[in-house]
Amino acid sequence: MTNATDVFTITIRRRRWWFWALAGLWLLLELLLLQTALASVAEGEPRAATISGIAAIVLAAAGVLLWLRRGQSQKPGEPSAQPDDASTPVEPQGQG
Amino acid sequence: MKAGGFVAAGGALGSLGALAIGTGVGENQRKRARWIKTVDRPTLSEKTADYKRFSGKDMFAIYVPLKTQRDGVGSFEAEQASKSKRLAAWMSERKPGFSLPDQQLSEGAWTVMRSSRPGTGLLSWTRPPARTPATPAEPGTQRYTASPEEMASTVKAAARLYGARLVGIAPMNENYVNQQVPREDEKQIDKDIVFEDIDVPSVTDTKFVIPRKMKWVVAIAIPMDLELLSRAPTALGDTASALGYSHSAFVVSSLAVFIRGLGYEAIPCVNDTAQSIPFAIDAGIGELSRLNKLVTPEFGPAVRLCKVFTDLPMAYDKPINFGLVEFCKTCKKCAEACPSRALSFDSEPSVRTRGPWNNPGHKAWYEDSYKCFEYWQKSGSACGVCLVSCPYTKGNQAWIHEGAKAAVSVAPATDGVFRILDNAFGYGKQRDPEQWWKNNSSSERRG
Repeated sequence: MTNATDVFTITIRRRRWWFWALAGLWLLLELLLLQTALASVAEGEPRAATISGIAAIVLAAAGVLLWLRRGQSQKPGEPSAQPDDASTPVEPQGQG
Repeated sequence: MKAGGFVAAGGALGSLGALAIGTGVGENQRKRARWIKTVDRPTLSEKTADYKRFSGKDMFAIYVPLKTQRDGVGSFEAEQASKSKRLAAWMSERKPGFSLPDQQLSEGAWTVMRSSRPGTGLLSWTRPPARTPATPAEPGTQRYTASPEEMASTVKAAARLYGARLVGIAPMNENYVNQQVPREDEKQIDKDIVFEDIDVPSVTDTKFVIPRKMKWVVAIAIPMDLELLSRAPTALGDTASALGYSHSAFVVSSLAVFIRGLGYEAIPCVNDTAQSIPFAIDAGIGELSRLNKLVTPEFGPAVRLCKVFTDLPMAYDKPINFGLVEFCKTCKKCAEACPSRALSFDSEPSVRTRGPWNNPGHKAWYEDSYKCFEYWQKSGSACGVCLVSCPYTKGNQAWIHEGAKAAVSVAPATDGVFRILDNAFGYGKQRDPEQWWKNNSSSERRG
């Protein structure tokens, strides 16, 4: 239950451009490795399929782990130690 | 800043896409990847004063005297007897790749090629005799005319329909035409190939005559079946070559009939009459490689070449450069894979030949065809390991192949990396011959 005197801060953090560039690169690599794995099976190249498949799985796992760690590194209620450059704090507004 | 990043990323992706599927070659050619650059002069094009027309006597024609000279009288006969005995034993014990079905698959694939001889049958140099006097409405009696560009497009479309995958137009170069058509048995004679100012090609008892007005050469590449070729050195691997030759005979003979029907003359050739490789290089089909064979950007060296000489005026194509010569300098995978050590390990191509089977006078990585042919006798097959081992010989499904070839073309510094990756990914290894029959046993063929 909230009181009229409680103050809330909502921070909208915009990710930096390089985050999206890295995410795009990760997605592209993932796509390329998966395509290579599947196409190598069709081409009858088992070693190429295995290496590409394993690389795709490792890259996917690394991406997911990094994503999760990033989420956990900021505890609820704590402001980011290094806020992103485009953070847009919303002015605290009291109720009532 | 953010917008700039998106634009940069989008641009990079766009470039990658354009590199893979974009057009980089003249309008006269079908769309090829942008990393295949056209050039005015072919790579390894310098000729010296030694360059002259090849005798026409390749290893098939000179192996017996060479073998006799090196290993003594009767050595060839002994080698052939040993080979026959070995093949018979392998057949009865059903050795994978040499069982009776394997060997007969190759025999069947040779059928069309074996019925084709220079100047006769499918490879006839002239029109068949008319059954009745020609009327103006009959094909061939009225000439079809169009611009050289349109003519080239028309001929290429027909060639592709008949089974060619890469087609280019090169100018006739008399130096590429063999001096002779060697005899096939003792009853025959070697026939000279000459150029004369005549209207119609002719074949007499003593010579083959090419009209000087035939200034255009349609150079054609037909890909070999990779599923079969990757079973080399076995009879199954040979089947890929045999099929390639038979397809070639079909394509050039069909194209010659088509061209004659348009009112022009045409001489269809497979491996005979002239050197296919220099014409294919001039026509922009590929580059000369460490194998001393043509390597195409699309199919590597796993192609069979053939050509049609004609007086039908067409726009010429330009040679290409896709970074192959630089790649061959560092790669050397074919030389390492060659079971007979017949291929050169030299870093740079040179004018130093290895024997009378080589045509001197130009820079190349000359091969020891004698060692190669001797291994054919030992292995009971026409080998083909070098063709499979080349990093350019790849299936056409994985996008990464196109990316690697593009990188090699635009950034030669990456050559060594791609050579290492090619090995790491296990490409170019011999596949299980028996598996071919299992893969193709269903009523519908895959791929």
